[in-house]
Amino acid sequence: MAANQYAIVNLTKGSVKIGKTPANVIRSYLGGRGTNVYYLNKLLRKNVDPFSPENVLIFGAGLLTGFLIPNASRFNVTAKSPESGFLGDTNCGGYFGPEMRYAGFDRIIILGKAKKPSYIFLQDGSVEIRDALDYWGLDTYKVQTELRKDLGDVQAAVTGEAGEKLIRFANIRNGVKNAGGRGGLGAVMGSKNLKALVAYGTQGLNVAHPEQLLEITKRVNDYVLNSKVISVMGKLGSPYLYDVSNALGAIRTKNSQLNAWSDSLNAEYFEEYVEKMVSCASCIVHCRHRNTMNGEGPEYTTIGLLGANIGISDPKQVIELNNLCNRLGLDTASAGSILAWVFELYEKGIVDKAKFQGEKLEFENFELAKSLLEKISHREGLGDILAESSQAVKYFGSKSADYLIAVKNLPQSDPHDVRYIKAFALGIATASRGADHLRSRPTLEIFLRLPQEVKDNIYGSGISPDPSSYEGKEKTVFWSDNMYAVIDAVGICKFICHGFNSPHLIGYEHVRDFLQATVDLNFEISELQKVGQRIIDTERILNLRFGLTRADDSLPKRYFDDPAPLKTAKGHHIDRKQFDTMLNRYYALRGWNDQGMLSKDRITELEAIE
Amino acid sequence: MKYIFVYPERCTGCRLCSLACSLTKFGECNPRKAAISVVRDEFERFEFPVVCFQCQDAPCVTACPQNAITKDEGVATRDDDRCIGCRLCAVVCPFSAITTHGKELIHCDLCGGDPQCVKFCSTKAIEYAEETQEAMQRRKEQLARVLITEK
Repeated sequence: MAANQYAIVNLTKGSVKIGKTPANVIRSYLGGRGTNVYYLNKLLRKNVDPFSPENVLIFGAGLLTGFLIPNASRFNVTAKSPESGFLGDTNCGGYFGPEMRYAGFDRIIILGKAKKPSYIFLQDGSVEIRDALDYWGLDTYKVQTELRKDLGDVQAAVTGEAGEKLIRFANIRNGVKNAGGRGGLGAVMGSKNLKALVAYGTQGLNVAHPEQLLEITKRVNDYVLNSKVISVMGKLGSPYLYDVSNALGAIRTKNSQLNAWSDSLNAEYFEEYVEKMVSCASCIVHCRHRNTMNGEGPEYTTIGLLGANIGISDPKQVIELNNLCNRLGLDTASAGSILAWVFELYEKGIVDKAKFQGEKLEFENFELAKSLLEKISHREGLGDILAESSQAVKYFGSKSADYLIAVKNLPQSDPHDVRYIKAFALGIATASRGADHLRSRPTLEIFLRLPQEVKDNIYGSGISPDPSSYEGKEKTVFWSDNMYAVIDAVGICKFICHGFNSPHLIGYEHVRDFLQATVDLNFEISELQKVGQRIIDTERILNLRFGLTRADDSLPKRYFDDPAPLKTAKGHHIDRKQFDTMLNRYYALRGWNDQGMLSKDRITELEAIE
Repeated sequence: MKYIFVYPERCTGCRLCSLACSLTKFGECNPRKAAISVVRDEFERFEFPVVCFQCQDAPCVTACPQNAITKDEGVATRDDDRCIGCRLCAVVCPFSAITTHGKELIHCDLCGGDPQCVKFCSTKAIEYAEETQEAMQRRKEQLARVLITEK
């Protein structure tokens, strides 16, 4: 196959230009999230409306995606986010990432807006813009099954009606449940009249050292499979985290009015609905439940946000809401955050009841939640307002913002109430795409029995073992942010990434070995660490261009002002002064000034890469 | 005799088996260029690894107009010098276990008794096992399901 190929598809002009990613760009950013943000920074030089044809939408596979490497299935989608107004970047598993590479492309860069509903078809080195009139209006399942009827054994990254109707948290779907979930990039597809990116590839990925790759992967697979957390993940999936977090008092409940919820949502109660555990391409963890209710999931995030956060305690109801969001193409994290937010606004009378268009809102009402999700997806009645996500503050008034659990306008992804765990708080405050745990969550912070020297070896010394202490926490966030950026850039799943769920698993040295065996790139570990920093810095350049200031690296008001009421976390909140000094220390580690700005020299250095 | 046995109920669909095969045989990672294929459809809700089951009375052997495929100690083996690439073997295979890809006709040869695909399966959905032992193991697992009720 032709390695390192990208295609620039201009939907306005109907043109396609195929090119090769320069070697130096690959060396500097690897691929996936890294190379995506490199191109976004190069091509999106103005602060445009995310729904304007000038927004640039990039699909890019990780540099190791599609190889015989554990969990190397992932691709990123990157654009300016219509939900936050800042960087939109979302990472997705499934089978589309490898397929686009087997079809000959590492990256598809989409410009402009098609005159009519369209899809892009990639097949063995060719790119075509095709009519999608027959697929327009279909939900995310139906469009994929119809595409397969018409085109054969293809893989597709699609958006549902929610994307077409510009719901600001419409996501991008591959398969039943894999989602490019965050930031509303499905709506960016909709704004471009783009229903799907479809791939069929019969070209393989050439391997520089086949024998070596077989040997390394066998060894690494055995190492990963021997880890205890991986066997738990393979049996229970991410829901195993609910129990642990709930015991600490770190589960967002009823819009964070509470911080713990019912044990009835513990992972064990979801087991009776599991038909089989299935996996993404090349995955050895198989964390995804094929549920008996004709869907897949739920993840821990969805249990938290469409369970505890809206006051639902029946696992079956959570699964039904999960399946509904998946079919409609809605991000479950934003959906659960926005519903909980307006439920509280209504119940507490913070907003005039006339604003709710005749709806009577309350927590603990499954039928209400279900009907609102449908209404959001079709933009009916109050659904039309909620479809605006955090931007609905303009409608509900500025007082409503005090109750919104969001950072940089992005509702928090993670069900973790961060008031007790200060490193998690810094992580969501500084994450480049807004309140999100997948950028930097230093999960080891809540592994209370982990020996201090293990943490010191990973993050460096001077970090308090107490999760509620601010001391040294900038180091754990800095380390995690860089590591996860690299793992996203190579396309390996975070679930087997060093530091995300375990003090072991895939770290820089494994990435180095895989890069050498597959694409014959030789890196020192220190160079790979610099790649992570480079990705974060480039994301920062974009966010600064989109108007970000230090004030945006902050937290929901409630986390500062209302102490958590329950369990271990009881009485804990985020102290503004201590948070500010921790943020200063984080900026210093990044080499940013006290306003969170990069130096001119650093910007010049990064923008000279080509 | 040892054969590859497949257990679709354990298969998660990941395709590492196919990648290990294509990497071993062709030095590339390509799930469509492998002697083992995972047939899967997440909407129809199934995963099934398809590989040559080394039929005793193998249609591929009978159908080959060139007599290019013979059973060599129980393993179907193709003589590349005789093969004319007509793909009839692939068409008559009752499991569609023979892959055609460009000029390649790909037929599992059990890697000479050390099948690579099996080594990369994380759930033992494919196993290379002595047939009599496999049969007893299978009986035990099936009976356990019937006889041992959960507490």
